[in-house]
Formats: sequence, C-alpha cells, structure tokens
Amino acid sequence: MIAAAGADIRAEEKLFSELDAAEGGDGDHGTAIVTAFNAMAKADGDDFKTYLKNLSDRLQDEACGSTSTLYGTWLQGMSEAVPANASELDAGGVAAMFRGGLDEIGFVTRARVGDKTLMDALLPATDALAAAQTQGLPAMFAAAADAAEKGAEATGPMRARFGRAKNLGERSIGPRDAGAASMACIFRAFAKTLN
Amino acid sequence: MPMKKFINDPANLTTELLEGFALCYKGKVKIVSDKIVVRATPKDDGKVAIVTLGGAGHEPALSGFVGEGMLDASVVGDIFAAPGAPKLLEALRMLKREAGIVLVTLNHAGDRMSAAKALREAQKEGIRVREIVTHEDISAGVDTDPEEKRGLAGCIPLCKVIGAAAEQGQGLDDIVEIGERFNRQMATLAVAMTGCTHPQNGGPIAVLPDDEMEIGMGQHGEAGGGRSKLLTADETAARMIEPLTQATGVKAGDTAMLIINGVGATTLMEMFIVYRRAAQILAAKGVNVIPGACGEYLTVQEMAGFQMILCKLDEDHLELLKAEARTPYWTA
Repeated sequence: MIAAAGADIRAEEKLFSELDAAEGGDGDHGTAIVTAFNAMAKADGDDFKTYLKNLSDRLQDEACGSTSTLYGTWLQGMSEAVPANASELDAGGVAAMFRGGLDEIGFVTRARVGDKTLMDALLPATDALAAAQTQGLPAMFAAAADAAEKGAEATGPMRARFGRAKNLGERSIGPRDAGAASMACIFRAFAKTLN
Repeated sequence: MPMKKFINDPANLTTELLEGFALCYKGKVKIVSDKIVVRATPKDDGKVAIVTLGGAGHEPALSGFVGEGMLDASVVGDIFAAPGAPKLLEALRMLKREAGIVLVTLNHAGDRMSAAKALREAQKEGIRVREIVTHEDISAGVDTDPEEKRGLAGCIPLCKVIGAAAEQGQGLDDIVEIGERFNRQMATLAVAMTGCTHPQNGGPIAVLPDDEMEIGMGQHGEAGGGRSKLLTADETAARMIEPLTQATGVKAGDTAMLIINGVGATTLMEMFIVYRRAAQILAAKGVNVIPGACGEYLTVQEMAGFQMILCKLDEDHLELLKAEARTPYWTA
C-alpha cells in the first residue's frame, strides 16, 4: 500500500509543489512528500507495530520540515494504537490504528478542519474509516478516499491559518491546500490497492 | 525569473553550506552529527546550555550565533524546513546537564512541531529543559494573539541576553525569566521589496510588482500599511518605527536597541539610511538608543527587504548585552 501511494505521489510531485506555491507556501511540498515516501520505502518490519514505527523513524531521520514531523507523528500514533506482534488487523483494528495516528498528530498541531491543512483531508477520512468499519476494508477505504478528496476540495476557498501560507491571509484563498491534496491522493491509492 | 545561484547539486545545499561555515569559522564552531552546529570548545557542564533550531536557506541564521556568550548548539533542518524532532532530541541528549537547557523556538509551524515532540521525549528521559518561544512579529497587527505571531530576527538579541546570563552561571528559572521579559518587550516588523527563488526547485516566492513594496504581511495593512508604491527610506523608517514603538511601549526616558536585519538583497547603504531615520525618530521622542546593529543575520535568499527590531531594555538586559561574546556574527 505504501509503495502504491508512493507511486501516485511521485506522479503528482509537481502539482503538489505548484499548489504549495500558489497558496503562499515555499513551493516545495512535492519535494517534501516524495522525499518522505522515498525514506519510507526503506522501512521493514514483521508486524504492524514494528513496521509502522520503522516507517515513522525512517521518515523523520531522512526528511525535514512539517511534512516529516506530521507524517512521522501520524505513523508513530498508528504504531502505538495497534497490538504488539499483530500481523493482521480486522476492520475495527484498522479504524483504531488510524484514530491513534490522528490523536497523536493532535499533539503537535492545533490545526483542525477549516484551517487549510492536511487535517482537512485526514480528519474526515479517519471518521469515514470508523463509520464504514462494518462494511469491510475495501468499502472503508473507498469511503475514506471520498471523504479525503471532498475535504481537500473544500480547502480551496479557505484562508490558511497555519504554515507559511498563513502569511498571505486572504491571498491564500483559491488553490487547494497542498498537504490536504497529497493526503487525499494517498487515501485514493490505498482504496485502489484494496479494490 | 530564471534562478542564478552558485550552487552544486540542490540536494546537498545544507550539508555543503554547513561544511563551508565550519571551515570559515574554524576554532569557533564545528558540525556534529551532520546538521548540529556546536561550539568548538564546549561550555562548562555546570552552566545552563542554550539550544535553538531552524531550517537552512536563511544564512547565517542562528548558527551564526553559536559560540562563547551565546548559543551552545543550533540544530539545522533542510532548506526552509525545520529539523526533525529526532535530530533536536539528539542535540538535547548531547547537552543534557543538571543545570538544564533552554530551548529557543521561533514561532513557525514546523519548528514548533519538532520542538513539541522533542521536548516531550526529552522530559520522559529526565532531561531538564525549558522552552522560550519567540513571537515578536507585529506584521498582522500589534494586538495579534502571540500564538499567531511569527518569530523573526528578534530571537538574536534574546539569545545574546540569555546566553550571557547562562555564561554568568545563572540558574535555569532565572534565565527563562530574563528571556521571557526580553521577549515581551521586543517587536519586529518586516518590509519586502522583491521576492526570491527557492534554491532547490527554482520556484518563485513572494513575488511583488516592480513598483511596489509591502510592510508587514499586507493582510489588512494593520501594521505599517501593507502594500504600497515604493516609499523613500525616511518614509519607510517612519512608517515602521511607529507601530514598533507602540508594540514595545518604548517611551521618553526608556533605553532601547534598534537592529536592522537585511533579508538578502538590500544593501547596507540602504539599511544605514533607514537606521539613521528610525534612530533619529526615537531620539526625538526622548528614547536613549544604545548602539545597535545593521547587517544580514536571518535572510531569505535574494529577497530584498529588511526586518526592523526594537527592544525595550531593562537594566539587567543592558548589562547582559554588553557582556563578552565571541561568535561568528556577534562579538562583544
């Protein structure tokens, strides 16, 4: 799943950087997220907990900036939310894993839905996973991808309240948030893999 | 605008610039663990250590102030990107001591996240560390919530003051008190004239029309007027010093320091002309302006513009600013 998401992310690298520049960021989100996936590609582990922790460590060691910290924290939270030695997770376990990741991110950023950040995609996607958990994994991730895309789309008219784009105030309105767009791309890739 | 820069592989910018910095200031600083800038000769373990973090591409940035009398370590990220929490944690472990550590974090989302994560881990490990967050930028208005204000070059005199206090052997809590008081009494306002290019991808950042400048962030022009046609140096100085005076509460009889930080392409000629007018306005108000500084400390590539920093000083701050310092970019 990580490899599939990495491939889709690499294909859109330029778009993510352009979105970042357009909303007033440094124009390097594409580079940052691709670096993150390159780092994660080197991770391994026999069970979910170890693998997720390894993904988090690799990412934070090799990538800098907000993307590194946010994704590293997300993965660390997921790792902490799964039982030790589990090599398989049921639907409830997957929903709980993503919930754990989201809770951990809440420790490092105060951003919520409406602030024009990746949280606009991640929060509704995590909720959608939980809401659809009786329907099986493919349906869960399809719902999560839809929710993430809808959330990312909604960031267009928002005014940025975090990161460098915040400095532009009303001029950050218009383009989608780069972090929300890449997060939606990742959930769509997960959904495609499971389908 | 095509990028014209003396660089090699864009992926190696940070490593190469730090190598050059350490070679140039051999005997004062050295690089450990790839991206941690430390003093060539460490400070006595019995004294509080001062650490900071920040992205590269803003040279000399805070690494320029590592040395006797100021910082013990500066943890560097990648271009415009905060270092990860593990790197910062590594520096905190390296400097662990009974006396404690002060971590100075500039209020930017990435730096704050790395700091929050590293501090939580450090505290779990029993590392004694307290954080000072600088957020003195009044660009969005003098009354903006401190959490919403950016940390700009005002962190430099703050590091001078707390660095000197640490060197004197003052305790962790006293140093934090001195620093937080300094923090509350300083303010910075930025003006930009031209944008710059991202040194890794060549993309343009903060582009402004040829005949315009922008004071503050220009959202509603709360502080300084936002975007306008080009003003003269004197007009610019006047428009910036007023909100700074208001934000710091500097008044007749007070002692203050004024610093102009060029962000890359603005000449010292221009900075001195602006400094002159701002200092004259303060003097006319009856403020005692002590010797300040004009130079490039916290830069944004070839962006034209500068930050004006005004600090209202208490008696102890004044003494600490005069105390001995031997760092690449601040000697006293």
